[in-house]
Amino acid sequence: MLLRCQIPLPHFDLDVDVAFDARVASIFGPSGSGKTTLLDAIAGLRDITAGEIEIDGSTLFSSARGINRTPRERGIGYVPQEGALFPHLSVRKNILFGAGRSADISRSKSISVEHVVNVLEIGSLLDRPVTKLSGGEAQRVALARAILSQPRLLLLDEPLASLDIGLKEKILPYLARVRDEFRIPMIYVTHNLTEVLTLADWVLMIRQGRLVTQGVPKEALRSMHAIMQLPEDQFENVFTVTFVESDPEAGRTKVRLQAGQELFIPYLPRPGNDTIQIRISADDILVAIKRPEGISAGNVLPGTVRRIDAIDGQAMVTVSAGDDFYARLTASAVKRLGLVEETPVFLIMKTRSFRSL
Amino acid sequence: MILSFETWHITVFSLSVGLASTLLILPFGIAMAWLFARKEWPLKSVVETIVLLPLVMPPVSTGLILLKIFGRRSPFGQWLYDRGVEIVFNWKGVLIAMAVMSFPLLVRSVRTSFSEVNPRFEQIAATLGASSLRIFFVITIPLAYKGIIAGALLAFSRALGEFGATILLAGNIPGKTQTLSLAIYSFVQLGKDSAAYTLLGITVALAFLFVWCSEWLLRSAKKT
Repeated sequence: MLLRCQIPLPHFDLDVDVAFDARVASIFGPSGSGKTTLLDAIAGLRDITAGEIEIDGSTLFSSARGINRTPRERGIGYVPQEGALFPHLSVRKNILFGAGRSADISRSKSISVEHVVNVLEIGSLLDRPVTKLSGGEAQRVALARAILSQPRLLLLDEPLASLDIGLKEKILPYLARVRDEFRIPMIYVTHNLTEVLTLADWVLMIRQGRLVTQGVPKEALRSMHAIMQLPEDQFENVFTVTFVESDPEAGRTKVRLQAGQELFIPYLPRPGNDTIQIRISADDILVAIKRPEGISAGNVLPGTVRRIDAIDGQAMVTVSAGDDFYARLTASAVKRLGLVEETPVFLIMKTRSFRSL
Repeated sequence: MILSFETWHITVFSLSVGLASTLLILPFGIAMAWLFARKEWPLKSVVETIVLLPLVMPPVSTGLILLKIFGRRSPFGQWLYDRGVEIVFNWKGVLIAMAVMSFPLLVRSVRTSFSEVNPRFEQIAATLGASSLRIFFVITIPLAYKGIIAGALLAFSRALGEFGATILLAGNIPGKTQTLSLAIYSFVQLGKDSAAYTLLGITVALAFLFVWCSEWLLRSAKKT
């Protein structure tokens, strides 16, 4: 996908020039950085001063060649932040609104209503008026409506932003299922890092209308630019792990990292799918230079410091312990422990500091 | 209360021409309101002003303009006359006067209800592959229909109350072009006070009903 566009905005100009190939590309940045504007431009809902938009080799917009396809012709499914379900239509009529579009303009195989309804679990909602849906239900319905228009690309604008934490955790797996079941490329706008790390395989970080950095999420977000922009509570480690065993009595579950190390996380019943995602905040990982003894924490992993990025009295320490772990320490802690690259260390992580998705 | 044949005739005539006028302007009013609410085009503000003009101009002046346009001495009036259509001094004159005078109220009211429809719904409908026509009829109109009905009611009431333009274009001919408002004026002039009060009662009742309905619709439209 090629995305080059210049759009004047009241306080700054949006000026982005990127090319990427991803299943889920996340546009990550603080509020007011121009993320929604960018999605609107891709969908054809906003004028672009100059630029070019190309998906799968087909040009949707090109100021140089005088091409500007209408939103209707673009074949892009858009789930705006507020969902924008048609308030006068039932759930069923909403999700079928775009279903008449022929699949051949955008995709070879059309997606069936049944499949979407099952994946998003909205079967029981079909005859309800959309005004009687909860926030999470409305998001799933908006998602279903966009998918059923057989789009070549899905645009999701902070689909979880309006939901409370508990609900977010419930909707996130649905998004992952959409990604895996329907194989529609997605552009996912968010200002939440967990969502980027959970769903995306490419991240574009924008601020004040400019691209700050881009790349594979774990790598890109570690860069200095990225760290400096992260909200305090948002630097998280996300791992895809395999379920090993669960012990409700002990209150913990054993999982295995891709590199083979085993970790304990809070108890969860055996999931249907053996692969799950877990996460831990970079602030919840302790670093020791000697193996600690007599502590309550259930996870102590040996590793090696690979890299230290220090800014403003803080340091993001990357430790290779099979997988890469990020621990955020104070500059003083780094100094006291004498941490430099290649220092052997132990990572201490409480079982209960892990969360699963 | 038993109404005289004359009173019945005047009331039914006014209501039917008023209804015809409202139905006549409805499609144009909706189209124009949509153009004002949703599109940008050159000279839009000039056209907007012209459309709203009859709202503020003395109705008699509007009537005079209409007479100049439709009178047989004007080229257009002559052209119509040659085709057997006569506007002046018959019910068609009443219709035209009512239509022109109530049009701005309809447009204003419908324009407001269109602007209150979140354009995001229309945009999303477009990304879902809907044509402009489908968006208009399946999204915009249903979301604005209460305001449209309220506007039509308002236009209808205004048509019933029409006096100045009507009397110039259609005259005040009993049994032929005499509407409720014109009849009240005549009855008072002729000293037929009780007949005038009966008509007064009818106009107050009708006006009350229409305005009440239209306000109720607008309030409930805001709520949803």
